[in-house]
Amino acid sequence: MSPATANFPTAADIGALLPATIVALTALVALFFDLLAPAATRRILAVLVAAIGLAGAGIVLALHYGDHTVAFDGAFVQGGFSTVFSEIVVIATLATLTLGLGVGRDDQVAGSTALLLWSASGAMLMTGASNLLTIFLGIELLSLGLYCLCAISTRATAREAALKYLILSSMASGFLVFGMALLFGASGSVSLSTLAVTQPSVLFSLGAGLFLVGIAFKLSLVPFHLWTPDVYEGAPLAVTAFMSVVTKAGTLAVLCRFAYAALPAQTATALLVPVWTVAALSMLVGNLAALAQTDMKRLLAYSGVAQVGYIVAAFAGQSAAGVRYGIFYLAAYTFMNLGAFAVVVLMSRDADAVVGVSRFAGLAYRRPWLAAAMTFFLLGLAGLPPTAGFTGKILILATTVGAGYAWLGGVLILGTAISIYVYLKIVRAMFVRVDMAHVRDERAPGALPWVTVAVCAAAVFVLGLYPLTPSNVLPLLH
Amino acid sequence: MTVTALVIGPILLGFILYALPKGADGFARGTGIAVAALAFLAIALKPDAPDASVPWLARPFTAAFHLGYGPISYWVVLLLAAVIFGGLLAVRVPRAREFTAQMLVLQGAMNGVFLAKDLLLFALFWDLMLIPVFLLMLGWGMPARGARSRGTAAWRYLIYNVAGGLTLLLATAAFGVVSGSTDVIGAAAATGAIGEVWGAWIFAGFAFAFLVKTPVWPLHTWMPDTYAELPPPVVAAVSAVQSKAGLYGFIVIGLPFLTTQMHAAAPLMFVLGLVALLYGAFIALTQDDAKRVLAYSSLSHLGLILIGIFSFNPIALAGAAVYIIAHGLFSAAGFLTLGYVEEREETRSLAHLGGLAAENPRLCGALLVTALGALGLPGLAGFAGELLILTGVYAAGFWWAALVALVPIVIAAGYMLRLFQTIMHGPKGADLPERHDLTWREGLALAPLIVGLVLLGINPHAVASFALTQPTIGVTGVAGNR
Repeated sequence: MSPATANFPTAADIGALLPATIVALTALVALFFDLLAPAATRRILAVLVAAIGLAGAGIVLALHYGDHTVAFDGAFVQGGFSTVFSEIVVIATLATLTLGLGVGRDDQVAGSTALLLWSASGAMLMTGASNLLTIFLGIELLSLGLYCLCAISTRATAREAALKYLILSSMASGFLVFGMALLFGASGSVSLSTLAVTQPSVLFSLGAGLFLVGIAFKLSLVPFHLWTPDVYEGAPLAVTAFMSVVTKAGTLAVLCRFAYAALPAQTATALLVPVWTVAALSMLVGNLAALAQTDMKRLLAYSGVAQVGYIVAAFAGQSAAGVRYGIFYLAAYTFMNLGAFAVVVLMSRDADAVVGVSRFAGLAYRRPWLAAAMTFFLLGLAGLPPTAGFTGKILILATTVGAGYAWLGGVLILGTAISIYVYLKIVRAMFVRVDMAHVRDERAPGALPWVTVAVCAAAVFVLGLYPLTPSNVLPLLH
Repeated sequence: MTVTALVIGPILLGFILYALPKGADGFARGTGIAVAALAFLAIALKPDAPDASVPWLARPFTAAFHLGYGPISYWVVLLLAAVIFGGLLAVRVPRAREFTAQMLVLQGAMNGVFLAKDLLLFALFWDLMLIPVFLLMLGWGMPARGARSRGTAAWRYLIYNVAGGLTLLLATAAFGVVSGSTDVIGAAAATGAIGEVWGAWIFAGFAFAFLVKTPVWPLHTWMPDTYAELPPPVVAAVSAVQSKAGLYGFIVIGLPFLTTQMHAAAPLMFVLGLVALLYGAFIALTQDDAKRVLAYSSLSHLGLILIGIFSFNPIALAGAAVYIIAHGLFSAAGFLTLGYVEEREETRSLAHLGGLAAENPRLCGALLVTALGALGLPGLAGFAGELLILTGVYAAGFWWAALVALVPIVIAAGYMLRLFQTIMHGPKGADLPERHDLTWREGLALAPLIVGLVLLGINPHAVASFALTQPTIGVTGVAGNR
């Protein structure tokens, strides 16, 4: 510990945490306004305050994209890497707000919005976390809000989902903490940069292994994915959309930093081979399981399992290009997935609606624009052109082949082949002429999700043609 | 500029048409026909249009949006414009606006496949061109009576071809990483860019995609259903142009960059090609569905082209190029004509059709020219292609293959004449309604294809010349700039 410890936080420390702080404080502002506002304006006010706060945080982030600040004595690193991940979190949270204008009843919406913002700030903390304590803080902040949000729906399965999420996620946290304790025991430090120069030992490997198991749980990688479909199914639509992107973004940032910068060079390859194997399994099992799903939320849950597998595969071999392409694919996934969720929202009367795959039958003849948008997002998730999903896949394939993990590229192709069934099954349902009498045609009350659909479609298309991969993401520590 | 417009223009217009209000059917169709005609004129009048290239990726390998004419692709896109023009001119479908929109997207995507000079762009358009066909088959498919549920054939088409597209994608990524650039199609002197270690895997990826697309036995099972079910204008475009993408790939990617692997795979390809040739021909003899006769004859003919390419002989390669275009001409004309027959008689079953010639002399003439083109009548394009391929294969020392390949050519006369005879002559089916002869629109739709069939038959050199200037195939690369 340096003498500088005595008088922190310095201005630089606070500046580094500013975006996450803005988001967290916005939650308080939203709650405060809720006390004063008349009942009729509660919903719109809460969402508006949150949107302004998020936009502010997004702008602050963008202004500091080129920075590389090591804050709080190495506990938090702000710079290109964390900025890009945080921007993804901010964008996903903004999109979540548009899906159904907040979550829950009118008198719940300020509270649920606050929880959403706190969760988002937890994820933003994770993106820059560079010691074990900050990582844990971020993960718990993210999860605590989500436990409540999952239970907010009035549906019977919601509480089951929330409880399942609480128990399994706590177990994952248990793995994480135990792993962290062992890592601390082996290295004498919680700082990731110290871990990287520790003499490898059994204790260290055990700690890293348990840590990675915890992370795999949070990322819902196979075989730690079984909680995901149930939780996604039970949670309100907007919360599911949020979880499917923000949780994954935050945890991927942690995994990436840990894999790239926190492992001693002698043991890194051996310790990480199981991670790449788990990623390969996720691509296969996630897509295979998605084949059998009839509920859109469950289907997207399993598809998310596979998609995260693709992103983790980009990190294989810890190549410099891999981070960039992984982030690119995460951005692509964010827009494709949120777009798909927005379409599902537009097809359901309220946030608790169950949207089965069968509801898509003949959609192209009833609502051609919606069907066109959904087709585009599904093509993207399936990795077909002209979408960012296609470009992202080719970049990931190139990096796996270049890093000497061609087998992972092969598995990716196999997984993608299976996923064609999953996604194009819905496209087929939309475009086959059917007897419309049996199809329920529900519509969302508002038109706001259309904004998300349009923005996501534009982003998926543009990113597909011009793959803007972030350039200054390395070094991950200092 | 011209080449960019050929790719972007139809796709963009397709989306605009899709966005038009319902009921704009006539306008949409007019636009579609005009676009196809314009494209045809633009290609025909400006054969030396310069390449267009915009940088795309810099890492992990160089890639560019690079489009331009090549010696074969020039004729293919010209053919495609004629096919789309003919297809849209006389088609009668419900929801014509959406149909036209999809057709234009299909045209743009297929132009992209053949004009792409960048491998990654090639792969992109390869996948893209599958989607409109899939959607067209779902929305306008014409399953034969008693067929399985709607969409089955579309599904099979998509799964097979996307599986091929994915191995193509993996091979492209590996190609890019190994060679450092994918902006290579048509580039001179690129031999040996791919080493021995990766070469075999990369070739396997490409070959799988190309063989599925062509298709060859035993990867062909998606094809007869697809061809039978697609509406005539679409199947004309798919069989005339899309199915050539694989063969084209072997010529512009396989021969110059994966020469060693191509040579190593030649015995296998010869077997696959010969099996396709014979199998397709024999099955075509027994089919009752008229469209399936043509589908299986396509399988047979494309097998011949495959043999031509893998004999590594300049004459055979010239023949392959000529036959790629020739087959496009007569199969497109054939599918369109059968479409007109089905429209009049509401069946395409050979058991029910018969005696149309008396009432429909012009329709009869159209089908006759097509059938003669397909069976290789001297003077028409099919003959030129077949002769060049067989001569080349023989000259390359594969006399036994040339001998075997003669058999299905004889059988071709059998099934094509059977098709023609059953539909046009013989006793008239009692339950067939009386219908009018070929309208001027339908005639105009077929005219460019039939004129092309004759012109190419007289002067195959126009298409073939590029290959004949190559001293040795597969050593210097064959796909020089036009």
